[in-house]
Amino acid sequence: MSVDAEEVVLQSPLMYRVLRERGGALILEAVVGGAAMYAVRVRLLPSEAAEFAAQGARFSDRLAREIMANPRLGGRAYDPAD
Amino acid sequence: MKRRSALLPLYIALVVAGCAKEAPTAVAAAEPAKVEPAEAPKAPVEAAADPAISTGKCDEKQAAISQQADQRAQPWGITQHLAKNFPDMKVSWLMKEAPYQNFVVKTGAEKFGRCDDNGCFLFAAPTAVIEAAVQKSMTGEVHDPAALGQALGLPAKNFEGPLRMMTLDLRASEACVRLPVDEDPGVWKCQSEADKDCFVFGGYTSGKVPELMVINAPVAQATVKEIP
Repeated sequence: MSVDAEEVVLQSPLMYRVLRERGGALILEAVVGGAAMYAVRVRLLPSEAAEFAAQGARFSDRLAREIMANPRLGGRAYDPAD
Repeated sequence: MKRRSALLPLYIALVVAGCAKEAPTAVAAAEPAKVEPAEAPKAPVEAAADPAISTGKCDEKQAAISQQADQRAQPWGITQHLAKNFPDMKVSWLMKEAPYQNFVVKTGAEKFGRCDDNGCFLFAAPTAVIEAAVQKSMTGEVHDPAALGQALGLPAKNFEGPLRMMTLDLRASEACVRLPVDEDPGVWKCQSEADKDCFVFGGYTSGKVPELMVINAPVAQATVKEIP
């Protein structure tokens, strides 16, 4: 899916953003790494999307920090199509 | 002051040469306070040691974190780290093109790094190290991700596609620098032996590349180079 087909729902100074795909699914894209930075994406589970809807940045900050601390996130993370 | 002025450059030279293992406090121990009874030190010893080496302008909170990190790293510390690994006070870091565009350019970021209420936090390495790694990785017009990854001790995947190399002169920007700590934003906690780019305390990456934490690195003062 091209970037144009995505809507930026939240852009955080913590270097992550929440995107909504055309189909409605939410994705969290976070910049990970140290002196060599790259981005990974995680598609939010329905329960996480609900938490994001309820808590907004409070939830996404927490999830983003979790991804930065563990960029594979148990196999859930994938590379964005650069 | 004359005696201190004469001895401290020697101490720094020993640190740079890897001969001195003691923290700056050892300098104070070697030079009893009685030498200069009339004049109490007004600045930290490391700041006086070499004016070319500076940790920049750190706020109270970052200064306290830095002090704790230095205590944990003893006999190492940010001053020795700068003197040995960042003698020209120039730092660099790399970003893939897409994140650079999405998180720096499009947002009109004024500071590099991950920002929260305490500032913007950025991992950086010596410019000379990054520059040499990039140069070595160039095959014709483009870089070889595998060669760059190998040179920096990181997975090749992190370097696929076009990159940006940012460089900041710490002397000019006076950005605060310290040893990175576990609580810093963006710290990747090592999960297994296989992890090659996770955080290890002490100022070196798991790939043995020197690193430090730069706080509030101004975008306007950094140079940005395209790495095709």
